[in-house]
This record gives sequence, structure tokens and C-alpha cells, in this order.
Amino acid sequence: MNFTRRHLLTGAAAGASLALAPTTAHAEAEAAPGALGLLYDATACVGCQACVSACVEANHAPQSASLDAARASERGLTTEARSSVKLYVSADGSERSFVKQQCMHCVDPACVASCMFRALNKDPQTGVVRWEPSRCVGCRYCEIVCPFHVPRFEWQGFNPRIVKCELCSPRLAAGLQPACSSVCPTHAVVFGQRRALLSTAHQRVAAHPGSYSEGRVYGEHEAGGTQALYLSHTAFGKLGLPLLSAESIPAKRLKWQKRIYSYLAAPAVAYALLAGVLVKRWRSHQVHEVHEEVTTGLRPQL
Amino acid sequence: MNRQWQRSVPLFERPVLTRPFAVLCGLGAIAAVLALYREAAGLGPASGMNDAYAWGVWKTFNIMVLTGLGSGSFAIGIAVWIFGQHRLHAVMRTAVLSSFLTYASGLALLGVDVGRPWNFFSILLPWRWNAHSPMLEIAFCMPLYTAVPLLIENLPVLLEFLGKRLPRFSFAFDAAESTIRRVFPFVLALGFLLPAMHQSSLGALMLLAGEQVHPLWQSPLLPLLYVGAAGYMGFAFVTFILLMAHLVWERPLDMEVLCSLSRIAAGVAAVWLGVRTMDLLLRRVILLAFAPTQAALLFWIETSLLAAGAIVALSAARRNNARRAFVASLLLCVGGMLYRFDPTTMVYRPGFNASYFPSLIELAIAVGFVAAAVAAFCVVVKFTAVLPAPLDAWFEAETAQTPRNPRTGQLVIEYAAAD
Repeated sequence: MNFTRRHLLTGAAAGASLALAPTTAHAEAEAAPGALGLLYDATACVGCQACVSACVEANHAPQSASLDAARASERGLTTEARSSVKLYVSADGSERSFVKQQCMHCVDPACVASCMFRALNKDPQTGVVRWEPSRCVGCRYCEIVCPFHVPRFEWQGFNPRIVKCELCSPRLAAGLQPACSSVCPTHAVVFGQRRALLSTAHQRVAAHPGSYSEGRVYGEHEAGGTQALYLSHTAFGKLGLPLLSAESIPAKRLKWQKRIYSYLAAPAVAYALLAGVLVKRWRSHQVHEVHEEVTTGLRPQL
Repeated sequence: MNRQWQRSVPLFERPVLTRPFAVLCGLGAIAAVLALYREAAGLGPASGMNDAYAWGVWKTFNIMVLTGLGSGSFAIGIAVWIFGQHRLHAVMRTAVLSSFLTYASGLALLGVDVGRPWNFFSILLPWRWNAHSPMLEIAFCMPLYTAVPLLIENLPVLLEFLGKRLPRFSFAFDAAESTIRRVFPFVLALGFLLPAMHQSSLGALMLLAGEQVHPLWQSPLLPLLYVGAAGYMGFAFVTFILLMAHLVWERPLDMEVLCSLSRIAAGVAAVWLGVRTMDLLLRRVILLAFAPTQAALLFWIETSLLAAGAIVALSAARRNNARRAFVASLLLCVGGMLYRFDPTTMVYRPGFNASYFPSLIELAIAVGFVAAAVAAFCVVVKFTAVLPAPLDAWFEAETAQTPRNPRTGQLVIEYAAAD
């Protein structure tokens, strides 16, 4: 599939028209209509590491890092390599598969929910999760909560960054597709709108029902859905893709937190109640203090 | 020897510059230098943290664990002010000072821990806030709690001290105190609301980590259990401080107060253990506690420390036994500390192979910040009236601190103008 600027523009236009249409669905549960993503098909991947090299180059990492990408890839994601391709071999050697790793661009990401100043935020149109240096405090909470272990922190130096795949946002803005999908010789990495990629994935599964594990697309429902989608002949769990329920992590885990803190209503009521009780207690305490001052002749200590 | 604690009295007769104090200051100074090194070199060279274990002891121990111990002002304050345990008023100054110092030291270390502290000014820009982030709640509430309620609750002690040292300006200090008295109930209310919020949010932090935290700990009740732990840890830690003051500085004990502190701590811990057990039963994960795993072992260590702590505390209260109260406070402190440490570190299982052990520099900084807080506590209690004492100790201190005529050695007493 070739992705051109026109695809992107028509997609965006369709997205905009849909966004204007009234909708009753919860924003957190559904992907933006124009959500972009990647489809990785492990059955087609030959492990050439071209995508990793292109990724490192596109993200302005030093040339040496680019040449070393294949070796770096074995270490997984680093601050130089925002994507990696690793080889999985089962214990008895009978099963093998490559697996690409990069940011999944979750539909309702835990990292975005966790980030206190919205340094990690989701583009409303494309759904790409980006990092904004001027807002990040460097608390590394995103690294704790990401179920896919994607964000990387620069541990060296006084001005560290959070580094993760941003779906080559500058290239997208220039009408190009992400570096990784642009160089893939086997169409194992395909870029497009999430909806289109999902139907492509389902077509591939339907065409070769036997060759895909579990007969499904990883990322369609996992953790509320991700914009990076996976197909594989090996069980997803073995490739390091965690088994996650269909509810997004923020929706599932912060249900009560969100209710308690919505509009700060509950804390305000609690404060009013506390203050009411304490004003009363304080008055009786002052009476007590005066009594003590009279009996001991000493100034009361607060 | 049991004499009722009636007033807070400075430890005026004790020297400030002692060898242990010098050691504490030295540790603090080393930490300060190493913190500068961390700022220049980055977190990697200064700590054992990595991308799998992105949080090290600075957050998981100095904040998560030690602010639990520093919850005395919150926990005992509620018993005193809401539930009318008037006898516990005597220990409030100790509680608020210990809370202030633990929080201040933790927050200072947090400034060292975060990678890009200069962006923290975003806290002043509401449009940048992510209102649903537990981290924002903590980033907002913890400094606010330290800077407003805790500071104001500590101010009367300072004003009292200044009033004595600078009698000429006592009118100003008196005016300040009467202002504090006017707003005091509203400050107290803030002092109970904010810790309830951020102590629960410390638990809520780990909610988003989802399945990475072992199911024995990962629970929707995590925020509630974190506040509950802060409850008994606050009581136990203040009891511990008071008994240490007795052991080190030979302060007289008021067993009545210590017994009621122990009794309440035991009660809170017992209810907490009950809630946790119910939670494990309802989530149907209790059987995991009987699997031969490290997590199960940790669970039983926590549970037995806390259960033993509650039982010993109760027996201390029944038998009026200071030794038992000391043991109980230690057990409850350590049990609570372990509970608050485990989900972030010991039973936190990141998806890929990695290990974390704090580096020497990291440990030295963590220890140094604690040492600085302890040193500050030692200084403050020697100059200002924080630790509780019987009435006669107050008079003794007053007499000793009253200026004497250098030649005759007689007390110089200025009488206020007669009415």
C-alpha cells in the first residue's frame, strides 16, 4: 500500500467531517476517526533491520548509532533507537519470529493519563502520542505505567529527554510516511489510517486463516485499542506483547479517582465539613485553654 | 516514673554540638555535594535506576515510605481535633515538627530526583494541568501541605521562641500568633484534607501500573490502604520519637498518653489488616499468598509485622509498659514501611529483564537527606518547646533560661507593670 499526501489529506478531511458530526460515544473508548497507525505483520518480516536504521536516521540520532542500529536493536528500545526488531526463538528452537517494537499509540494511553502537565499528549486528529519538552518535569511516571514499556529516559546529562516513537510527526507534516514503513521491503510494516489498517489486517487473516495466531489482530481491543496493530503466527504473549483486557488502563484504574476529583467537588465538600467541625472544636478548645491559663497561670501553648 | 505531660519544653540543658549530631550533619553535607554531582552528570551515573525501574529509592523510599511515617500530624491531629482525644494535645508539637521535616526533606529530594525540575513552574499554569493524573495531585498537594498547614502549625513554636529571645519585639510575635489563632481551624481542616488526598494518591500512582504490580498489592483499594497505613504509621512513629527522646535525652514519660497512642495505633492497624484481608478475599487472590513465591513471603512478613505490632501495642496499653510500646511502634513502623515500599519496588515486575539496586551515591543521597531532617529535629527540640514534659520541667527551664546577674548569679526578673 502506497501512502501519499492525498491519502493523508482526504483522511484528515473525512476525520474532520466526522468530528463535527454529533456523537454519543465516549472519547476515551474510541480512536479518533483520522487516527493513524502502523500495521506490523510478523509473518512477512524478514528481520532486515532496515526500518530500525531508517528510524534512527529519521530521528537525527548520530550516524554511528544508525550504522549500529542492528546491534542496538538487540537491546530493544533505547534513546537512540525508537523502534527495534528482535528475534524470538522458542526454547526448543522450533518456533521463531521477528517482532518489531515501537510506541503503540494507544487509543486511551496510560502515559497520557499519568502525565501531570500533559507533556505527553495525544494529537486530537492523528492520535499520535507526542512528547513536549517544555512541559516535562522528568518524573518518569510514564515509564512506570506504560504496559508496553516504550518510553525511554535519557539517564545521562543535565537536560534529559523522554524519547519514544512519535510516528515520525515531522515527516507526516511534510506529507511523508514514517521512516520505518517507508523502507520496509516486504510490507511487513504498513502505515495508514487505523481503520484502513484494521480492515487490511482482517483481510490478511481471512485470506490465510491458518497462518495467524489466534486468528485476530493484536491491538484491535487490547487496553482499549492501540493504533499500532500486530499480526503474528506466534502467540502474541511470546513476542512480548502483554495480555491486556479490552478496557483501557485509565478507564479501568482511575474510575474512582476521576469521580472523586471531578471539579474538585468532593474535596470542597470534605473541606467545608471539616472546617465546620473544627470551628466548633476550636471554640471549645479555647474555653479549655482559658480554664488552664487560670489554673496554672501560664500562657497556653498552641 | 509517670508524670503527666502538660507543656512542651525545650531541651535547654542538652548540648547541641554532639558527636552524633556532627555525623548527621556530615552525612547531610555529603548528600548535598553528591546532589550537585547528580545535577551535572545526570541520573544515570548517580543512581542505579534504569528504564525498567525508572523510580529508585528517592521516590519509593524517601517519599512513598517516609511521608507515611511523617503522617503524625495528620493521624494524631484527627484523633485530637475531630475525635476529641484532648490528652494527646501534648504530643501535637512533636507530631507537626516530625511531619514538616519528613515532608520537607522528601520534597527537597524529589527536586533532585526529577530530570527536568525547571519545568515545575507549570504547576502555576492551570491550563497545563492533567486533572486526572495522581501525580499532579501529589505535585500540587504535597508542597501545599508542607508550605501552608504544616508550616503554620509549626509557627507558634517559633514565635514563642522568638518572643523569649527578642522580648522587645514580642508585640509583633503576639500579633502574628493571634492572627494564626484566628485562622487556625481553617488551617487544621486543610491539614487533614490535603494529606488524605495526597497520601491516597501515592497509592493511586501504582494503580496505573496495572498488572505490573503483583495482584496481592494491586487493588482498587490501594489509595485507601495507603492512607490507612499512613494512619497507624503516623501514630507509631510519633510514639517511637517520644520513646527515643526518653532513651536518649532522659525525658520523663507520660504512660497515659503513650498507652492511648499505642491503643489507637493498634486499632487502626487491626482495622487496616481486616480491610486488606477482605480485599484479598473479594478479589479472590488470597490463594496467591500461599504460593511459594518471594511475593507471598513479603506479604507474610508485612502481615505478621503489622499483626504482631497491633498485638504488642494493645498489650503495652493494657499493662502500661513503655518497653512494649517501643517494640510495638517499631513493628508497626517497619510493617507499614514495607507495605508502602513493596508495590513500587519489590513486587513491581516490569515486563523485561532488568534489575535495580540503588547505587552507592544514590543511597548516600537518600541517607543524607534523612540525616539532615534528623539533625534539624535535634536542633529544633533543643532550642524550642516541642517535646512534651511535666509542668515542673517547664518551670525549671524557665528559671534556667531567665537571665542572671553575671556578678551575683541572681535571677534578673523584670516585672510587668502592675495593673
